[in-house]
Amino acid sequence: MIQVNRYALFLMIVFIILAAVPGLLAPYGLKERSLPYQDPSLEHLLGTNDIGQDILSELIYSTRISLLVGFAAGTLATVIGLIVGLVAGYYKGGVSEVLMGMTDVVLTIPKLPLIIIVAAFLRPSIWILILILGLLGWESIARVVRSKVLQIRESGFVMGAQCMGFSHPWIMASEIVPNIMHVVAPKYMLATAAAMLSEASLSFLGLGDPNNVSWGMMISFAFSRGGFIRDMWWWFLPPGICITLCILAIAAIAFSLGEDSREVWQD
Amino acid sequence: MGYIANRLIRYAVCLICIITLNFALPRAMPGDPVWNIIGEDVYVSEEALQEIRRELGLDRSLFEQFQIYISSLLHFDLGYSYILKSSVFDLIISRMGWTLLFVGIAIIIGAIIGFLVGAYTGWRSETRMGRLISVLSLVISCTPAYFLGLLFLLVFSFRLGLFPFKGLYTEPTLASIAHHLFLPILVMSLFAASRNILIMRGSTILEKASLYALYARAKGCTDRGVLYVHVLKNASLPLIAQVALDFGFVFSGALVVEIVFTLNGMGTLIYNAVLGRDYPILQGSLLLIAITVIIANLAADLISAVIDPRIREVGR
Repeated sequence: MIQVNRYALFLMIVFIILAAVPGLLAPYGLKERSLPYQDPSLEHLLGTNDIGQDILSELIYSTRISLLVGFAAGTLATVIGLIVGLVAGYYKGGVSEVLMGMTDVVLTIPKLPLIIIVAAFLRPSIWILILILGLLGWESIARVVRSKVLQIRESGFVMGAQCMGFSHPWIMASEIVPNIMHVVAPKYMLATAAAMLSEASLSFLGLGDPNNVSWGMMISFAFSRGGFIRDMWWWFLPPGICITLCILAIAAIAFSLGEDSREVWQD
Repeated sequence: MGYIANRLIRYAVCLICIITLNFALPRAMPGDPVWNIIGEDVYVSEEALQEIRRELGLDRSLFEQFQIYISSLLHFDLGYSYILKSSVFDLIISRMGWTLLFVGIAIIIGAIIGFLVGAYTGWRSETRMGRLISVLSLVISCTPAYFLGLLFLLVFSFRLGLFPFKGLYTEPTLASIAHHLFLPILVMSLFAASRNILIMRGSTILEKASLYALYARAKGCTDRGVLYVHVLKNASLPLIAQVALDFGFVFSGALVVEIVFTLNGMGTLIYNAVLGRDYPILQGSLLLIAITVIIANLAADLISAVIDPRIREVGR
């Protein structure tokens, strides 16, 4: 598996560089237009789309949006899941019952249809997408964190800290959190991958942000604006491959991070 | 059965959340709620608008509105689509059959392949074949479903001309329907199978390392005997629960695949409703999907409790 991880890390670095400095790498700017529906040529390696944008440049610029939505939603989900799981695991009894009941409810709610309906009512924008995906993706992190905290809270160093009179928030933050990071980190990567996959589906349904084109939006445009009928595979194939490779890289990194902790995969 | 009662409470809360959300969303959005309820791109006369307002009780208090909403739900009245000029309940009923057919077939195929191949790759996880299959399953799980659908459509329909581009049938015969549904079912089955393979593989690896498997080997069971008689029984528990859960997503799981293959099922109904901002259809579908998901969850709980006594114990 070591080899797979090296590839995954390399891919991830490439994608992050593309997202960080698209202006340096893309041959054309987003606002530059030429003739629409061109075939691939030396000037336009992947041809041009329906409004005459260079598809390769669009692909490079879209990296930032796709990664931003994925990582921001993943971060939000992880923060919520971490806090809920910590509190539910640390304080037993009523608080824990209520929090875990809430988690089960979120777990049961059908995600995609709910996201579709909320995104249909609100005007699409990437920030709303991030918010919805983050708010609905935390439940499995909360469960893993809670079960881990339940073990750790009984250990000597936590009890020691309690005896010395440290406050509960302090104990949670500096005694428990460092000891659950090895299960949170792979879960964070998985939450990011899941958010990217959901974003791709939502964009395909036309619920993405038309001002911030992501890979999913590119496929959606190619599908709805004649790229598919005209058999322009160079339009919709590259963004699809990018989505798959990026999610695969993130998932592979998650697998290598969580290889020795069984809890991560039990949910 | 304390365990089932406990679950029932959670599902009831979940259903109440969805219903409340459905009620609150159109009323909380900016603008006149009547447009948020019937859909924005609708043309209706001023009198009709007044009529709708009165029926929904929009001039009364929120609590009274909620009472009206609940009572209409109890009469299976999910609203009226002013774009398709039909009641939402009838629309959904007329569309769900096809979706049920092809997603149901895909779930069953995926479950069978996932069970067999997953058990094999888990049992022989060190072999080259085992690794290859699990990497392949991971790749498929990381692909957006519609992208794989587009690829298949491009290769098998456009390039090779083996299958039709769209629709459910050209003439209503079994052969024509099977011909049209082959690709979508293939795509859906691949997704279900690859996820099931990963689940089954994981649980088989866990179970084969446990003590009872070692004991079975020590008392002289053959390699296959340990797998078939002892390990498979326990390793299939997570998969069985997952397949039961899959049936909850029978109406929403194939959404994007239906759109790619232009099948006239629930997915296209929802897609067109999104494009036309036909809110009554979206809300009705969400409610129906939520109810099926909850029923499937309950079924999964019951099945797990029946076949695995440990779960009943934990619930107490």
